[in-house]
Amino acid sequence: MRRPKFPRLPRFKTPRPPRRLIRLVEDLRRKEDRLALVLSLIIGALVGLVVVAFILLTGRLAALMYPAGGEGWRRVLIPIFGSLVTGYLLYRYFPLARGSGIPQTRAAVFIHDGRISLRSVMGKFVATSVSLASGIPLGREEPAMYIGSGLASVMARRLGLSTAQMRWLIPVGGAAALSAAFNTPITAVLFTLEEIMGDLHARVLGSVVLASATAWMVLHLLLGDNPLFQVPGYHLVSLAELGIYAVLGVVGGLASVAFVKLLLELRARFARLPGSSLWIQPAVGGVTVGIIGFFVPQVLGVGYDQIERVLNGDALLKVVALLAVLKIIATAVAYASGNAGGFFGPSLFIGAMVGASVGSLAHMLLPASTAGPGAYALVGMGVAFAGIIRTPLTSVIMVFELTRDYTIIIPVMIANLIAFFISKKLQPEPIYEALANQDGLHLPTGTFRSSAGLWVSIAIREAPLPFTPDMKVDEAAEQIGNSDFESWPVSDEEGLLGMVRVVDIQAATEGNQRAVTIATIMRRARPEGEESAPIPHVHEDQPLGQALARMGDTGHNVLPVVSRSNVRHLVGVVTLTDVLKAYGVERFTPIRPRPAIDI
Amino acid sequence: MTDPMVVQTPPSPTVSAPRFIMTLATILVAILVLLAVDAGLARVDKKETRSVAAIEYQVGTRLMVHGRVRDAIDHLRTAASLDRDKPAYTAALAEAVLADGRPLDAEQLLIPLLERVQRDGAANLAMARVLAKEGRIEEAKSYYHTAIFGLWTEDAERNRTASRFELIDFLAATGAKHELLSELLPIQDAYPDDTLMRKRIAQLFVMAGSPTRAGEIFRDVLRHNSNDTSAYIGLANAAMAQGNYPEARGYYQSAQKLAPDDTAIKSKIRLADSATAIDPTQRGLPLPEQLQRSRNLVQMTIASARKCLNAEAPQVAAALDSVSRSLMVQSSAIPRNQAIEENLSLAGAMWRMRGGRCATRAPNVDEALALVQDKIAQ
Repeated sequence: MRRPKFPRLPRFKTPRPPRRLIRLVEDLRRKEDRLALVLSLIIGALVGLVVVAFILLTGRLAALMYPAGGEGWRRVLIPIFGSLVTGYLLYRYFPLARGSGIPQTRAAVFIHDGRISLRSVMGKFVATSVSLASGIPLGREEPAMYIGSGLASVMARRLGLSTAQMRWLIPVGGAAALSAAFNTPITAVLFTLEEIMGDLHARVLGSVVLASATAWMVLHLLLGDNPLFQVPGYHLVSLAELGIYAVLGVVGGLASVAFVKLLLELRARFARLPGSSLWIQPAVGGVTVGIIGFFVPQVLGVGYDQIERVLNGDALLKVVALLAVLKIIATAVAYASGNAGGFFGPSLFIGAMVGASVGSLAHMLLPASTAGPGAYALVGMGVAFAGIIRTPLTSVIMVFELTRDYTIIIPVMIANLIAFFISKKLQPEPIYEALANQDGLHLPTGTFRSSAGLWVSIAIREAPLPFTPDMKVDEAAEQIGNSDFESWPVSDEEGLLGMVRVVDIQAATEGNQRAVTIATIMRRARPEGEESAPIPHVHEDQPLGQALARMGDTGHNVLPVVSRSNVRHLVGVVTLTDVLKAYGVERFTPIRPRPAIDI
Repeated sequence: MTDPMVVQTPPSPTVSAPRFIMTLATILVAILVLLAVDAGLARVDKKETRSVAAIEYQVGTRLMVHGRVRDAIDHLRTAASLDRDKPAYTAALAEAVLADGRPLDAEQLLIPLLERVQRDGAANLAMARVLAKEGRIEEAKSYYHTAIFGLWTEDAERNRTASRFELIDFLAATGAKHELLSELLPIQDAYPDDTLMRKRIAQLFVMAGSPTRAGEIFRDVLRHNSNDTSAYIGLANAAMAQGNYPEARGYYQSAQKLAPDDTAIKSKIRLADSATAIDPTQRGLPLPEQLQRSRNLVQMTIASARKCLNAEAPQVAAALDSVSRSLMVQSSAIPRNQAIEENLSLAGAMWRMRGGRCATRAPNVDEALALVQDKIAQ
């Protein structure tokens, strides 16, 4: 599809600034710490202002679409109209602005050298604004993060910063945006480090904190000092309540898993539809939301007002339970069908409703020894966040920051951890990772950066010429010659297909099966009954320890190093000998593995 | 090799310093423009939000008046969350939640509000109502006082007066006579031209145990309008509270002339007659009559106590009966004055005991007895 081009702005001749100023700037550019300080402040302010504009414009647009006392038909038609508009905009002009923005932000850091285009930033702004204002039940927080990260990236490019600096500014912009969009500066820092960077000790911590605080100050300067939710000071009524909070952790964990699985399943189904239907797909979400919203208007939009009601104790068991179920369905369909928006806000909604349901039931059965449903709704928000987003530390801090209520810390911690573990057990792949994988992006997991210092990139070497699947084993044996590689890559015209072990080829040649093809050898190496097998691989930025573990798991002493954006793109190989050398261990006697297959 | 995310050495810049400066300057200008745009947008947004909040508040308060508490809560909640700067919205919400039978939730709403606006009249009044509902009398009084002397954004004087009268009603309901009197004294002469208010204050003086002050006010009212039926009734009530039943009867009769069909006045006259008939302390009674009335009073008190004690504690009632008989026999052997004193003391003790156990009173008979007992107790 041919995409329209934005007209280029005319270039003016740059006037020459005073010499002293130039010297000052050159000095600043040489000293990275100072540059980081200045840029963090500027990004914080800029992103904070853009996010405030985003919030206000979305709010105004929503007020226009849903005037007070508006007719019922609006609740059906406006979500459909909004999703059609965003669907077209995303398809025609801003294809990169689809979805929440977190996987895209991470991809920018880990794959695209910190590059996010201005067009996709603008697209995210417009599409998300229209989508949210029309009542699509998605959140503004993750898109805001993408916008913030994108602005930082654009700014870095315009300032002529290096790739490394550009990558380093992405989380800075993201944290500033989340801080302003969610009114939670600490949560923004933690989420950025925990989810985007995957490392709570990342060296960008200082810049992230500074930008987050600056953006938060901008927000407060313009919109006042109010928490997102005004919540009564809830307390633990009796110790027995801890047991009920644990139950809430279990229920919330299960609800989170249900939401994630439903969303991923629906998204996979939408992905299988023809590419030409991409522009109309979001309308499926719009229709679903419209129908639900006509009967239950509380499901429309992100629903922060409804959350506040429930947090303050206005919770009828049947209503809150129904809202939890409907929101799970509406959000999953809306997101999976390709509408712009995130699920931070919906996670809180689902959690608050699940919490209020458990709390109402508990209070009905044990009125003397339990708090009202509002307290459980408060804990439930953290529970769903821990279960869906899977950032346990952030989920605990977020509850306190959103409500400025620190009195219910123990129940929040207990319930969140239970939900986190249940979610991890039943849905091992975190949602953002799963979404990225669905898009063919292999982004690093949160724990990959825990090994200190030694990365695959230091042991990588040039890959040998890969075999083709139709190659005969005697040709392959000839190609191997005296090479030390114990496994050999196999690829076709589309890229890497897998690895084949040299011993298996040798066994075939020695067993007089010279006409056997490499594809056959690969098929025989697969576990019985399996049609295909995942390609064993590592990425450049993964720890060497992980490469070693993967060698152990796959039985290949040579692993292909592939691109994160395309697993079939072979970048090089890493061998056991090279890994050991990197660790300072010489491999004196090469181990000759036994053939994996009987020929 | 190091972490790929960490910049170890300063990379060489790809744009010239002048270009860098100009880009930075452009960004700073963009920040200033955005600041101006955002400030304008925020002002518009705030104005719109406030007007929506005001409408929601009005709808909410109207629904409250019509008793649709749940719907009112919805609207007031929206108003309070849209405009957090208006304590009156949260206070109204708390009162709606209180009306919904959730005093604890209402209190939780008010705590953070009062942390922000400690002297706000509406918030303090709402909290006082919540605490009064929860039976936390002392705390409620304290919040009522803060509401009376607190800050009111509109109609301050009217709201302060309303708060004071609410506190007065609360004190009257809880039987805190001394505090009630101390609240009434500052406003005794505060409404010289408002007859209704003066009569209300006078009635409250009666409840506060200061019928003399009440009488003065009612007389003053009658000086200005001798045809004021309620002033006559009030004056009669004050006389009754003072134990001056014949005088009270006279005032009731004056009221009756002005409102001949009023059955309540007739019943009050009967009550005054009953009390006059059994009062042993009435002035001008000969000593034998006083003694006889004091004996009657003991018997009436025993009879009244037995009515309820028979059901609740029959053994105690029977024992009381026998003790009182023996005391009556003994009283015949002692001087009359002393016998009257002892009879009155015995009747008073029994009445107090009865009061602790019996909630109900027989109409008229017990009421007259109660009036006389109260007079003796004074």
